[in-house]
Amino acid sequence: MSSEKLAHELQAILVKRIQSDQLVVPTIPAMVAAAQEVLRETDGAAVKRAVEILERDPFLAARALRGGAKGVGGQKKPTIAEAVNRLGPRGVKALLVEATAQKVFVSRDAEIANALRQIWEHSVAVGVLARDVLALSGHADSDAAYLAGLLHDVGKPVVASILLEAERQTTELYNRSWIGAPEWVEVVARTHRAVGSALAEKWQLPESIQKCLQENLDYDNSDRTSLVNAVCFANALAKKTGVYVGKFDPEDVDAIVMIGRSLIGVNDEVLKTLTKGLKDRVSGMFD
Amino acid sequence: MPIVLTVDDSRAVRTIVSKAVKDLGFEVAEAEDGVQGLEKLTECQYDLVILDVTMPNLDGPGMLGKMRGAGNMTPVIMLTSESKRSIIAGAMKSGITDYILKPFKPEELRNKILTVLQGGGGNEDVVTSSMPGGAPAAGVPENAPSSREASAKQFVDVMVVDDMENVHKRLRGMLPNHLTMNGFTSAQSALASARERVYRVILVDTDIPDVNSAVLAQQIKVLQPHAAFIALALRTNSADQAKELKDQGFGDIVYKPFTQDHIDDFLVQYFDNQDFLTNEDNILKVSAFVGKPERLDRYFGRLAQLFPSVLNKVASACYEEVVVDLAKAPTQGDRLPKLLVSLVSQSKEMGMAMSVVGTPEIQKLLASFEETRGIKYFGTLQEARAAVA
Repeated sequence: MSSEKLAHELQAILVKRIQSDQLVVPTIPAMVAAAQEVLRETDGAAVKRAVEILERDPFLAARALRGGAKGVGGQKKPTIAEAVNRLGPRGVKALLVEATAQKVFVSRDAEIANALRQIWEHSVAVGVLARDVLALSGHADSDAAYLAGLLHDVGKPVVASILLEAERQTTELYNRSWIGAPEWVEVVARTHRAVGSALAEKWQLPESIQKCLQENLDYDNSDRTSLVNAVCFANALAKKTGVYVGKFDPEDVDAIVMIGRSLIGVNDEVLKTLTKGLKDRVSGMFD
Repeated sequence: MPIVLTVDDSRAVRTIVSKAVKDLGFEVAEAEDGVQGLEKLTECQYDLVILDVTMPNLDGPGMLGKMRGAGNMTPVIMLTSESKRSIIAGAMKSGITDYILKPFKPEELRNKILTVLQGGGGNEDVVTSSMPGGAPAAGVPENAPSSREASAKQFVDVMVVDDMENVHKRLRGMLPNHLTMNGFTSAQSALASARERVYRVILVDTDIPDVNSAVLAQQIKVLQPHAAFIALALRTNSADQAKELKDQGFGDIVYKPFTQDHIDDFLVQYFDNQDFLTNEDNILKVSAFVGKPERLDRYFGRLAQLFPSVLNKVASACYEEVVVDLAKAPTQGDRLPKLLVSLVSQSKEMGMAMSVVGTPEIQKLLASFEETRGIKYFGTLQEARAAVA
């Protein structure tokens, strides 16, 4: 089956599962271990550490946000800390228990496993950069920018999880070969936007975050310090710094960075420092 | 003198740009569309073109394409309200040097003009590759503010970020008056100040509601690469608390609730070097002791720590004699003679003779101990200088 056809079919299956509330997403090894550790602790610092875990996993972050948003109206820009405060220690604990009960994301194919790791790291990098860019430019809501950055590619791990499940069935049950890493990356790239948007809608993520999941993410001139601008800029920076898996147009990315510097108001010194060592800062978060 | 051409159909924009260019001491010419702009380029050799995108007759990208097609490689800054990436990517292919989105701040325009005209073209990549090294760390020379930038900023000794104002008050009360301190209760105000001032030491509370202190410290560190970062923390049961805070980028910890002793330790570590002992050529001046009598041991301990490197510096400058000015040193007990015995021995090892300047009380003190009796004494610095010369 061609990548295009596989992507098309997968997208249809996933959107249907999301709409009928049948989507089960696995979690990643590092999160399971960290969540188990926090659950064993009883002191007040455990909740703080729980926030740190939620901040590293788009699914857990989205779930926390969804749970924390219940009963709260409006479209205030959210943060994970606020969501956790609303959930309370019991709600957070339930969330972590749920995460540890899920199957774990792993691939037998080393290249696919690496690509999955890079997808995760890219999301965290975009979150970190979006937050820092807004904070250092003197704008409020920089924590909300972190969440928006973390979730901007939330469709990718969803597609990846289904592909991994298909891989498991194909290789274990039917003893057949599975697609290679390049096709895997291509299928994820083709489908993730539609899947992410369906998920954001189903989970009723705030509109400001939903905007960051749209196809052909572009700047919004009407609000220079909007979340979508921070995420668009951070996404390009992460790609330019090499924290990304998949193909992209380098000239397009250069243009986004050049526009973003002026649009958001980031000087070159700050920009250099922000991206320095980015790869190191986000590596090791997956396993 | 560099000449700048501004091409924009808005007279208001041309006027603003022209004023900014003239204020920088450069010459400027104006054109109101791409056709006029190209004509101007044939009349004179410009050093920079500031170009709008949307204009009648011939737009910015059209003019840029014709310029480059004719082999004119004058640097171009796009100044436009256009932020469509496809248009800017196209302009980048034609070699624009930079981009400014309207409406713009005058300093952005000034900085970008200066970067092109004085900074070698401005084509350098502002995004660093993924080098190892982790989060931005203090003391990274390449991140230091330029001298122009630093001189425009006001220096402040201490920043404290803590949501409890009482912490600021208490700390202020324990710091000597000559040290300046700014306190902030929110991350936002701390970051704003970090953009405007240069700080020497920054203390960040590790438990500010809804604020990740480690992240805040890292963000401030980007703006204050040379400051020392200290965690203000409540002691927890965790055996790894100190390690965890150091891993988060804090160089040190001050535990709450802090006492004057804790703050004195902090002062010794970050502010006392220049106060305890100063040197000019081969003359070392010991500062007066200020504080409670029980802190005297700490004062002498600090002097003992500082002397070896200062003596080494004097020896490195090839002086044969070192003069220690003790006119302000406290004379109670046997601490001073003990220190001097050690100094004589250190100086000797470095090949230098040592003499002392001080009050008659110092002279008496030197005479009363066997080990210090032989040290050369002068009543004034002038006498010592004359003898050494």
